[in-house]
Amino acid sequence: MIKLTQIKKSFGRNEVLKGIDLTVKKGEVVAILGPSGSGKTTLLRCINYLEKPSDGQITIDEFTVNYKRPDKKDIHTLRQKSAMVFQQYNLFKHKTALENVMEGLLIVKKLPKEKARQISVELLDKVGLGNKLDAYPSELSGGQQQRVGIARALALNPEVILFDEPTSALDPELVGEVLGVIRKIAKEGITMIIVTHEMSFAQDVANHVVFMDGGVIVEEGNPSQIFNNPKEERTKQFFKRITPDGVYSI
Amino acid sequence: MKLDFAFIWTAFLQLLTAVPTALAITVVSVSCGLLIGTTVAIIRLYKIPVLHPIAASYVTFIRGTPMLTHLLLIYFGLPIIVDGISEALGLSFRSVSIPMIGFAYISFSITAGAYMSEVVRSGLLAVNRGQIEAAYSIGMTTSQAMRRIILPQAFSASLPNLSNSVIGMLHGSTLAFTVSVVDINAKAQIVASTNWKFFEAYLAAALIFWGLTFIIERLTALAEKRFNLYNRGGVS
Repeated sequence: MIKLTQIKKSFGRNEVLKGIDLTVKKGEVVAILGPSGSGKTTLLRCINYLEKPSDGQITIDEFTVNYKRPDKKDIHTLRQKSAMVFQQYNLFKHKTALENVMEGLLIVKKLPKEKARQISVELLDKVGLGNKLDAYPSELSGGQQQRVGIARALALNPEVILFDEPTSALDPELVGEVLGVIRKIAKEGITMIIVTHEMSFAQDVANHVVFMDGGVIVEEGNPSQIFNNPKEERTKQFFKRITPDGVYSI
Repeated sequence: MKLDFAFIWTAFLQLLTAVPTALAITVVSVSCGLLIGTTVAIIRLYKIPVLHPIAASYVTFIRGTPMLTHLLLIYFGLPIIVDGISEALGLSFRSVSIPMIGFAYISFSITAGAYMSEVVRSGLLAVNRGQIEAAYSIGMTTSQAMRRIILPQAFSASLPNLSNSVIGMLHGSTLAFTVSVVDINAKAQIVASTNWKFFEAYLAAALIFWGLTFIIERLTALAEKRFNLYNRGGVS
């Protein structure tokens, strides 16, 4: 279980997160939606401390970190409990697909090389890249790179995988293959928090949808409730502007 | 004036005996300089308290003064310090037992360190911020991320500039003559002093420097090919 309490974050005088409370149950797939600048990505990055929150508290799997005075060891433990899939993939450029997935297993989990290799090959197979083990990121398409990114996150067997707009940088043609992989692992009961603009995907894969705007959670609930029956005016307005599949009505 | 080709060849062969000295000075100063430079670059980039201003002053002072001045300062200053400390501690060690080439090693390493810190810093800046974020996201510590992810990429990005520094240090090794180390140029002067054919002797020295530089250029090209293998797809 993940519990966020009163997470706050300011960039200078601009308060981006104004006290976020969120609870994610084990095995739940949470989609965070909202307009640009609403703080979705910042919230996600605060969870594994890539962004330094100004205040608040997080509990992952009974391990609590107070963001007011975190010590280095706490942050390190926190990061080991989560993994992230980035919008720009961020694969290690100087390592092959296989080495990218193995890196965390070897260096962080300290597994023997053979074991790490075996796990990594299995995972790359699972994301459909069993034939690209020795390819460098520069030799892969965006969709393939992102699937390696997902395998790299899965390898660490984290409590939660954080997806930061995983398909925003992709060609429309390649979005499908990445969403397919995410859908597949969602079915395996891995806890996931996904920031996305793919509405129909969120509706179909998430068990819980969070709508954010202006640094606060405006509304949250199950997908059918949020998509079909939003209570708040701001949420209604947002969905009215965006019809399914990102087609914008004029 | 007639050029004495035979003497150029004779001088060339004799100058070859000084090549190991020049290479030793280059290798030592470049290796130590790379070590100092990497440390300084990291200190400056991450603004490590206390060390940061010291590192910044080191770079500006060393780059702001000629390499020959460093050598002279070390040559005349170091013995005073060494003897002082040694005397205070009651040790029998005296600066006279430091070989002359030792002064060249120390001072040129300090010189190379300052220049190379900027080379390494530019390499570090060339590595995308997403790389260290990805390393953190899989649970690496800063030092693991540095060693495994950032520095290898920074190193391959710095290779072209690094070869510049290596060539600079090779040519700079000629200054060691000031502290009576017989390098290639000094040897040329010695060889020519028997028959006053300085032009021929220095021409031979020039050929040797060019040859060594050419080898360094080829080696860098090979290294670039090897270390930038991962960029072969073109896009990144």
